[in-house]
Order: sequence, then C-alpha cells, then structure tokens
Amino acid sequence: MSAHPISNTRRTIRQAMTIARRDFVATVFTPTFLLFLLSPLFTIGFGLVGGMGASTVASGSSEKTRIVAIVPSAQQDAMRSADARLRDAFARGDRPPLLAIEAPGTDPEAQARAAFKSRKGIDASATLFGDLTHPTILYDGQGRADARYLASLAEATLRTDPAQTKPLSTATLSSIARAAPTESGHKQAAFIAVFGIFFLALLLAGQVVGTMMEERSNKVVEVLAAAVPLEAVFFGKLLGMFGSAILFVGFWTTLVTQIGGILPPRYATAIGEIGPAVGAPMFFLLFFAYFAMAYLLLGAVFLGVGAQASTARELQMMSLPITIIQVAMFGLALKASAAPDSMLAKVVEIFPLSSPYAMAAHAANQPELWPHVAALAWQALWVAIAITVGARAFRRGVLQSGSGRLFGRRKTVDMSVS
Amino acid sequence: MDNHLAVSASGLIKNFGGRRVVDGVDIAVPKGAIYGVLGPNGAGKTTTLRMLLGIIEPDGGSRTLLGHDRPRDASDRVGYLPEERGLYPAMRAKEAVAFMGALRGLDLRTGRKRAVELLEAAGLGHAVDTKIRKLSKGMAQLVQLLGSVVHQPDLLVLDEPFSGLDPVNQERLEALILAERDRGATVLFSTHVMAHAERLCDRLAIIAGGKRRFEGTVADARGMLPMRAHYVPERDDPTIAQHLPADARHDEHGWSFEVPDGGVEQALSRLIGAGHGIAGLSIERPGLHDAFVRIVGAAGHTAKAATEHTA
Repeated sequence: MSAHPISNTRRTIRQAMTIARRDFVATVFTPTFLLFLLSPLFTIGFGLVGGMGASTVASGSSEKTRIVAIVPSAQQDAMRSADARLRDAFARGDRPPLLAIEAPGTDPEAQARAAFKSRKGIDASATLFGDLTHPTILYDGQGRADARYLASLAEATLRTDPAQTKPLSTATLSSIARAAPTESGHKQAAFIAVFGIFFLALLLAGQVVGTMMEERSNKVVEVLAAAVPLEAVFFGKLLGMFGSAILFVGFWTTLVTQIGGILPPRYATAIGEIGPAVGAPMFFLLFFAYFAMAYLLLGAVFLGVGAQASTARELQMMSLPITIIQVAMFGLALKASAAPDSMLAKVVEIFPLSSPYAMAAHAANQPELWPHVAALAWQALWVAIAITVGARAFRRGVLQSGSGRLFGRRKTVDMSVS
Repeated sequence: MDNHLAVSASGLIKNFGGRRVVDGVDIAVPKGAIYGVLGPNGAGKTTTLRMLLGIIEPDGGSRTLLGHDRPRDASDRVGYLPEERGLYPAMRAKEAVAFMGALRGLDLRTGRKRAVELLEAAGLGHAVDTKIRKLSKGMAQLVQLLGSVVHQPDLLVLDEPFSGLDPVNQERLEALILAERDRGATVLFSTHVMAHAERLCDRLAIIAGGKRRFEGTVADARGMLPMRAHYVPERDDPTIAQHLPADARHDEHGWSFEVPDGGVEQALSRLIGAGHGIAGLSIERPGLHDAFVRIVGAAGHTAKAATEHTA
C-alpha cells in the first residue's frame, strides 16, 4: 500500500513505464526477435518501391541540373549546334543535363568553380573552361559522365570536317569536392529521409497491431484495466514496442554507417554529396525525431485498430487498410519532396499521417529549424489523440463500458452517498 | 461520505445492448469487513464489481472506493482478482507477482522480495522461478491471487475466487482471506458457493436479476426463514400427518416442517395424545443455502410476475 499519495500524472506515467518495460522484455528477450532483427534481408520487395521512389526524385532533380560550358561568344553557336546533334544520339532517359553556355570572365577557372554553387535552384554537374583544344572540365561526384560528354562536345564543336579523324581537342577532367550541398543533394537527402522513415515505421510499427489481442487472449487485460487507465496501457505498450524498434534501428544504423568505409572512393564521394539543407548532424537528429513520431503515430493507429480485433484473421483484415493508407502517405510525401514549395508539400506537411515524412524531407530541402519545433509538437498532439481515441474505443467496444463517449468527458453521475 | 465504509454504491445501473444487467444496486462495505456478493450465474455480480473498481462506468448511480469518487484515484490501495484469470505465460511466477504489484505502485525490487515470501508461504516456493505456462491451473490461480495482495492493499476485491480450485487450495484461499482481514484489509468477494460465504462473510449482499435482494449478516439471511423441526416417530403411521402443521413433509428419515409461531409444543401434545411416540426431535436454523434459494427463487417469481404484468 502506498505510504505517500502521488499525483495522477506521475502514477499514470509510472504505470505506463511498468507496462512498457514488460512489453520490451517480452519482445526483445526471445529467439524470434533475432529473426526479426535480420528480417530486412528478406524484404527485397521494399527495394523495388525504393527504386520507383528514387526515379521520381531523380527525375525531379535532373531537371534542375546543368552542364556548363564557358566559351567565347564566337564559338557558342557552334557548340549549341554540336550539342543538338550529339544529344539526339542519346535515348531520352540517358541524355545529359541541359547545356548552359556562359561567356568567359576575367578568371574562367573561378567562374567554372562558382558554377557548382547552387544558383536559383540550378546545379552544375560539370563545367568546361579554357581553349577548346585543351579544355579543363571540372565535375562533381556524380558528374563524370557529364564531364565526358562535355569533352565530346568540345571535340564536336571544333570539328567542321566530319571526314577528319585526328582528334582536335584533348580535355583534362578534374573531380572537385563541393563546398556546399547541391540542390540535388538536398533532394537525395529528402528521398532517403522519406523512404527511410516510411520503411522503418511500417516495418516496425506493424508489430504493435497484435499486442492488445495478446492481452485479450492471455486475459491479462482485465488486470491491467483495473489497475491502470487504458490510455496508460496503450501508451505503455506503444513505448515498449518503440524500445524494441530503437534497438532494431540502432543495430542497422551501426551496420550501415560502416558500409561507407568500404565503398570505392567514387561512390563514397557521391554519398558525401548527399547534403541536407539543415546540415548533417541536425538532419540526423530530425530524422530520428520524425521516425519516432511516424512510429508512434502509426503504432497508435495500429494499436487502436488491432485492439478491436478478436481473431488473427480480423487483425489482418484491419491492418491492411492502414498499410495502404500509409503507402499513399509515402507516395504523397515523396511527390512533395520533389517540389518543396508547392501547395501539395504544405498540405502533406500538415496532414498528421504524412507530416513526419514530409517534414523530414523539409529538413533536407529547407534550412529553417523553427517549422520542425512546431511540426513535432503537432505530431505529438496527434499521437496523444490517436492513443486516446484507441483507448476509448477499446473501453466502449471491448470492455463494453457502454455509454462512454469517444470525445469529451462523460456526463457526471451523481456521486453523493445515500 | 461515510468514513466507516471502504466501498459504497448507490443505485448502480448498467445496460448492455439495451438490456439492463444491473438495476439500482446499493452496496455498503464496512472497513475491515469480509463482504460477500452472492448471486446465481448471470446475476450481475461481476458487472457490479467492475463498476465499483472503475473498469467500466455505470450508466447511473454513484460509488465511492476508499473515499474516492473516482475509483482510479485509489487504485494503488486496491487488489483485484478477476473472474477470468490472466497471466503472461512466459513470465516467471516471481516476476508475475512483482509485475502486478508494480502496476499498483510497488517498486519491482520490493515486489520480487515479497513475491518470494508469499510464494513460499503459499507452498509454491519450488515454483518461484517457474514460468506460468508450466504451472497447473490451480497454481497459476494462486500466483495471480498473490499478485493481487503483494502490495498489501487496503481493499481486496476477488471475483469468484474459489472457482477452479481444489479443496486444499480452497482452504488455503480461505486462510489467506482471513489473514488479509486480520492485517486490516477489507475483503469484497463474489461467489455463488454458499459454504464459503457462510464461513467467511461478516456481511453479504444477494443479487439476482440485476437487483440487490438482500443485505445484512449471514445470521440475518438465515433469520429470514423460520426454523425447521424434524420429527422422527417411534413407528410410521399415515395418521401422523393429521397432527402436524400443513406444510409437513415426509421422507425416509421422518417428518420435517417449519416451526409455527407458537412453537412445536402444541403439535407434540397432539402427537403424544394420539399415541404416537417421539423417537427423535430436532429444531434447526436453515442454512445460508436455503435462505439464498428462497431469496433468489422469490426474485425469480417477482421478475416473472412483472414480465407477465407488463405483457
């Protein structure tokens, strides 16, 4: 018996943590958890979804990439004609980025390097400067093919006699590191964020769906409901499963971060150019925060819906629509990440179920931090709402505490003692 | 609010799917008492207990639990054994007891320590680290019961605690209930087995058809029925019935009848006057079982009459 009375909030938190601890231990300290930990190896199907998403983002970012040639005015028309000829030789999807031609300034090399700094949302992947017989071509981590194209373009510009076979141009190709992330680097970071959160949340939050049915089949729910507010039971279960999800994410994050060290330098450079607008450390923090929100929100919905099921079949039937909705949210967030200033992006950032994904993409595309504080608070509110609605629906539908309303307080009953 | 009451309820009402399953039940459980809620199957006992504990909300009426209008506010001081027993199969007995204590505010370390003590005292010392799924049904039930008292609650609510237990464990449970009362706890339990209620209860309520039909002590309940006389004649004779009250019934052991208001002397005088000897005579107070059957039976008649009247 308690010697000191404690506040309801403290009691509720303590009870929720008791349940969370039990669920965490019951989940993690089992042989099946090891199988679960390795399950991503079997989820190749997600790779297909990822590939589709990547192409969406890639097409969005390639539209904003250019190759730049810094050539005197006298050669510009010839180069444009040569570009038109050469470009036709490529299939539509394989064509290099559009050509931008600039007249040389006082320092063409500085001009070429400056072209790599993002201007009005346009990125350069390769730039050519100097005499076309011996041009220098700079390219970033992903622009090697574009640099080769520029070399061919220099040759084609000089070649007026198609029968002549001797090379007229010998280009020097130099890879450069960017001082600031590119627009396409933002886009790639946005895609990784949206896809990563979607993949992790859906994979891990799905575990929550059966936990209340487990309580019902064990008949423990009556013990819990008598001792603990149902909201605390739901929150505790969610936290317990979130704990095991963190373990999963920690394991795979550790593994994935080691991959960078064994990649060939060229790919490592390309990965290094994935640059979120808020900076890598903050992006990592926000990614985790939005993953937590996506998990808790999706988990709360799964928990609430799963609590209504009384058989495994019902459970499956009920979780399918949630999964479909979540895939739709993923698609929308991906679309929005390719157009961060669009109305769609704003709507998707506000709508609770898509907000964590879209805001993670926002962190990749925009440097401001204050929207994230507001977004996290907004999403936390919806987690609380989802838990409350789920608990009340359980009380009404399963415990048959009949007249309790889903929203608002019950009408007060007379508490006087006769 | 009455400070002498651990539990009080007034006019509790609960409807399920348009059917009223608890209809204006009043209950007043004095602190430190063992209080029984008796009733046939489906009488509304479990629903009443669940409303008292705040597991479900009443549709009408009021209740206080250990002085709190909101039962949740007293949850750390309450122990509860539900009718449907439930434990996590993969948990060890000691952990299960400690977990239930932790839900009620007991820290896990103390809970584990007390769990071992309780399990050993209950004869389950060998099963302290055994997983629940490996225990027999009766042993698991005992573990859950210990889980409901590990935090030393002020109020212990047990829903049909004796069902599923063998006689040895039933006796252990009776001892545990008495020990909890001696510790100072109030015990509220439901049952439809009269023998336990008769031995344990300081007070009881009988519920039938969703309504409370009786409230008082065991003696009060038994006192609702007249005493019964059992007469054994020296030899069987059909004319004996003429000298006994009209309700007298004959069986293989003799004659039994309700003791009339004036006592049995007049009937005995008539028997002796008619030459019938007395081989044996006993007068007994009816048991709780008889009182229960009478009260519940009368409730059934009342309900039937009400239904017919409405029709």
